[in-house]
Amino acid sequence: MARPSYSRKAVLDMIPREQAGYFEVPGAHLYTVLHTAADPLARVLLVGPFAWERHSSYVPWVRWARYLAEKGVECLRYDYRGIGESTGKFDHLSFQDWAEDVQLLAGWLDSLAPEAPLALHGLEMGALLASQAFRAGIGDALLMWAPPDNANQALRPALTRRVAVDNMFRYGDQRKGVEDYIRRLETEPMEIEGYQWSGRLWQESFDLELPADMRDGRKMATDCARPFRTVQLDKSVEPLIKGSRYVAMNPDLTELFADNFEWIAGALAVPSGGQNGCGR
Amino acid sequence: MVAAAKTVEATKTRELLAVATHGICLRGTYHRVQTQYLVQHGWELQSRENESPRIGVLFLNSGGDPRSASGDSAVHWADSFARSGYPSFRFDLPGLGDSDGELPEKWQDFFQLVNSGHYASFVSSLTKILMDRYQLSGVVVAGHCAGSVSAIYAAASSRNIQGVVVLDPYFFREEDERPAIRKGLSHLVTRNKVAGQLSKVYGGVKKVSMLVKGNKLPNNANMPLLRCWNQVASAGVPILVLYTQQARPRAGEFDYFRYLQSLPGGAGRMVLQFIEGANHSFADDAGREAVRRFTEEWLEASFWLAAPERYRSLAARREERWPMRAAR
Repeated sequence: MARPSYSRKAVLDMIPREQAGYFEVPGAHLYTVLHTAADPLARVLLVGPFAWERHSSYVPWVRWARYLAEKGVECLRYDYRGIGESTGKFDHLSFQDWAEDVQLLAGWLDSLAPEAPLALHGLEMGALLASQAFRAGIGDALLMWAPPDNANQALRPALTRRVAVDNMFRYGDQRKGVEDYIRRLETEPMEIEGYQWSGRLWQESFDLELPADMRDGRKMATDCARPFRTVQLDKSVEPLIKGSRYVAMNPDLTELFADNFEWIAGALAVPSGGQNGCGR
Repeated sequence: MVAAAKTVEATKTRELLAVATHGICLRGTYHRVQTQYLVQHGWELQSRENESPRIGVLFLNSGGDPRSASGDSAVHWADSFARSGYPSFRFDLPGLGDSDGELPEKWQDFFQLVNSGHYASFVSSLTKILMDRYQLSGVVVAGHCAGSVSAIYAAASSRNIQGVVVLDPYFFREEDERPAIRKGLSHLVTRNKVAGQLSKVYGGVKKVSMLVKGNKLPNNANMPLLRCWNQVASAGVPILVLYTQQARPRAGEFDYFRYLQSLPGGAGRMVLQFIEGANHSFADDAGREAVRRFTEEWLEASFWLAAPERYRSLAARREERWPMRAAR
């Protein structure tokens, strides 16, 4: 029987542009969405914002993934273990588990088309996790948006918001400070913005740091030939990063997207691959 | 306008769905009824699966949050309802979460869309698709805040929606921008004991003023929404309202819940439950647990105890095993 023949375009049209699925990791399934591109010129692993930040930045983060795919960059976004659509119990997890997620997914994404270069892109807490993986030799380029100096800087605002809410309509001695909550956290888990924080999470957050040489985004890495970039974001891109104005829900970020796409395209055009002692 | 759903099956308990409707793709998650749980608890699985009134629960986005909701509470509730025998679904409405579609640039414009019932037709189509695909006898739509507005509009336009659960619903159109001096005073009240007492006095004065003026709807009341509510309630559709301190009318504020109950047929099968200690997100420990418990009790009371004899006997057996509180 003759096989039906389809044009390449028709074949591509049959493949969903956004393929959602679950990726198995130890003890859980990660929710993943692969934004496909025809003949991708590169791939990007998007390491998104953490837990409560995920909710406010979701819309622009998805828009960024779609923008990249339209430009021919295939990208994978996902939810951290125990967060969002992924399975797993948040209060049983640690930064080590979330770092492992990055490594496993980067390996998988890379295996889909080893010939295409791979970039890691992290937002806020995701930037810290991506920087760790990059430092371990994963990826050909690293893009970081609004990385904190350490993970504790990302946790603290959420704790501060909880304290502020609890202190509403409390007066005088009834009011408690952030330090009181931190002491309590050392002895018992605490619900912050819908997630159960453990004392361990808080303690370990001081250890997950942005490498010192990556804090200045204008510098290129000197220990290897792989490029990285740090972009500090201000409140004008709210809700991509959490603000307080509650005005824009879907702002026009074309300028930010175009600038960073240009950088990715340029960075990945630089030859790489095992010649620089960085593991690829 | 409506196309078949595509699924990705991965975990034992969840499935990812993509549904084409109104020319766009909506994406969601299906939480399967966990049959193992039913077997473990001594249920006759076949009876429960084949004879029961198979009611699905569909969660809508709360405001602009993705479908997992604040603190991923919708995931927790959907898992829990699926364990209790209700196939549960969480979907992103157009432009939100993973779904396709346009979204306004500003929150204010988004709320205008919500408050005018823009999302009702999408929810209505979704319920139809889910009923066909999963052989459901009906769907209960659950919404929080803005999601509750869409749930009510949709229920008025679809006979497939056989129940509504609303968390902290609101019934006004866009709020006017508050003058800076009022914002400042509100801030002061939360920090200063004397200002707090003065605020109570002010509330009392407003309350007296409202009594004098009568229970008149405020100028910014969302009349089309109130009409839809009344239509749904009058038709005998069960409605569960769970609300926190934030949705509770303060002294001197118009009491929409009381107003709706007072309309002819308005009370219908409406159950109103205040959740003590929860905040507006319902993602805190108190809110999350209360929503799970009250909704499960209400689902049982509304769709099992009211079912034909052969279902009632099953429900009675379950009642013997796990006595539950009567829904209020």
